[in-house]
Amino acid sequence: MIKLDSLKISYQDRVILEDISLSITGHLNILGANGSGKSTLAKAICGLIQYDGAISIDGKNIKELPLKQRAKLLTYIPTKLEVYDEFISVEEFVLLGRFAYKDSFFDYSSNDKKIAKNTLEFLNISHLASHTLSSLSSGEAQLISLASALVAQSKIIILDEPTANLDPHNAKVIAKHIKGLKEYHQIILITHDLELASFINSPTLFLKNEAASYYEKYDEFYNEAKLEELYGATFDGLAVRYD
Amino acid sequence: MLFILLASGFIGAIYLDVGEVFTNGTLAHSIFFELRLPRVIFAFTAGAILALCGLLYQSLFRNALMTPYTLGVSSGAILGAGIAIKLGLGSLAFGIASISLFGFFGAMLSVLLLLYLTRFLKHSHFESLLLLGIALSLFYTSALMIIFYLGSAMQNDMLLRFSMGSLSIIGWTHPITLSIIALLLFITIFLYRHELQLFSISDEGAKLRGVDTKKVTLLLLLVSSFAIGVLVSVSGPIGFVGLIVPHIVAKLHREPVNKRITKTALFGGFFLVFCDTITRAIPTQSELPIGIITALIGGPFFIYLIISRSKS
Repeated sequence: MIKLDSLKISYQDRVILEDISLSITGHLNILGANGSGKSTLAKAICGLIQYDGAISIDGKNIKELPLKQRAKLLTYIPTKLEVYDEFISVEEFVLLGRFAYKDSFFDYSSNDKKIAKNTLEFLNISHLASHTLSSLSSGEAQLISLASALVAQSKIIILDEPTANLDPHNAKVIAKHIKGLKEYHQIILITHDLELASFINSPTLFLKNEAASYYEKYDEFYNEAKLEELYGATFDGLAVRYD
Repeated sequence: MLFILLASGFIGAIYLDVGEVFTNGTLAHSIFFELRLPRVIFAFTAGAILALCGLLYQSLFRNALMTPYTLGVSSGAILGAGIAIKLGLGSLAFGIASISLFGFFGAMLSVLLLLYLTRFLKHSHFESLLLLGIALSLFYTSALMIIFYLGSAMQNDMLLRFSMGSLSIIGWTHPITLSIIALLLFITIFLYRHELQLFSISDEGAKLRGVDTKKVTLLLLLVSSFAIGVLVSVSGPIGFVGLIVPHIVAKLHREPVNKRITKTALFGGFFLVFCDTITRAIPTQSELPIGIITALIGGPFFIYLIISRSKS
């Protein structure tokens, strides 16, 4: 369970989120307009940015959690895979997801390598293993990001706009994987893509005006009146491009 | 490469006969074992330290232009060593040459000042970091100039020779000390090779996978500052090695950072021995400062790097 207690996040004098108290027990879709603080909230949960208030996972304050332990509890997949090292291969990159399990100063074990190999097979991307990251397409890169998160075998996976840079075919591939992963991981999905959110079908947290509102049931959120009220735009029903 | 290392000892202002070199008591024997060989080893370890520090800085800060030189850390070390010369602290303090100690403190304070200043940087802070490094470097150089103008003729001579960079040493003390420090630096970087690999992905990526980025950065910068400080206090500034060697090794081997550490150290060593051999091989009135040769090779490479980066 992720517990947010009186969470307040500011960036350069601007308050982005204020007084958010919430317990997240299962899967969650986080939606909201641009700049509403979706990614900021995710990054705060991962301990990547400063905040006031408290965030705990399974009763443990994330600020006090050793970093390796935190890495085993949750992984975060950014929108775009950006890597400085231009010579690292897919296989080597995915293996880095096992860092928290590795003994200090030693190399990755054969078990770590086996997990990385199996994960690439599971996502049907074994053929990319020896490619460098800089040679990948956006769709492939997103699958590699997913693989890197999966090898960490963490309880919680946070995905930040996973379909933002993808064509319809690749978006569909990623969407199906995310839906499948709900069986094994607690999935927190940040997205603008209402159709994707609806397809993943988790309870919704909607961020607007520094505050958050929670919708447990599908129909509470996915109805035209509610969407029009929240987004201030007209909706003519949701397309079903992910089915 | 090994040939350069072996041949280097025989090249210089005075011709050495191979037969005489290995005969005890000859001048050639003394020149080879007391001057040339220590110098080759000194140049090799200095090159290895400079190249390793370049690789370290470029990986930690994820920027192709980051080295202890471009960030002003070396200038800080030189200023520290310059202060020691001015104060006439040639003697040993706690068994360590005070000039080396001051060099180390100069490097370390520069790193800490740089890290402190980065807290005030916002967007695209690595470019700003580089500019900060250049500004600090100019500041330290100016401070050194003031010391220069305040110094006596003898101190000035020492400072001048020192600030031009030289691998001219006598005896085995410096090569042995520097070899131990180079080994310490290499072992530290090697132990943290997987962390360094994660740094070269992204700062966020490293943190998310469980690296204590602040702690590891500080530790690696501390050890590298120690190495740079001691090196610079003996050799003065030798630019461009840390900048170009990691890039050449990367282009030649096309491997991720954690697999390039040994190769970078070895290539850096060979490269500086090669440059030093050129300085001794060119018949000039007095020996060419090593910095001139590394800059002659490094300058055009630096420009090529900037242009090729901006194209991509």
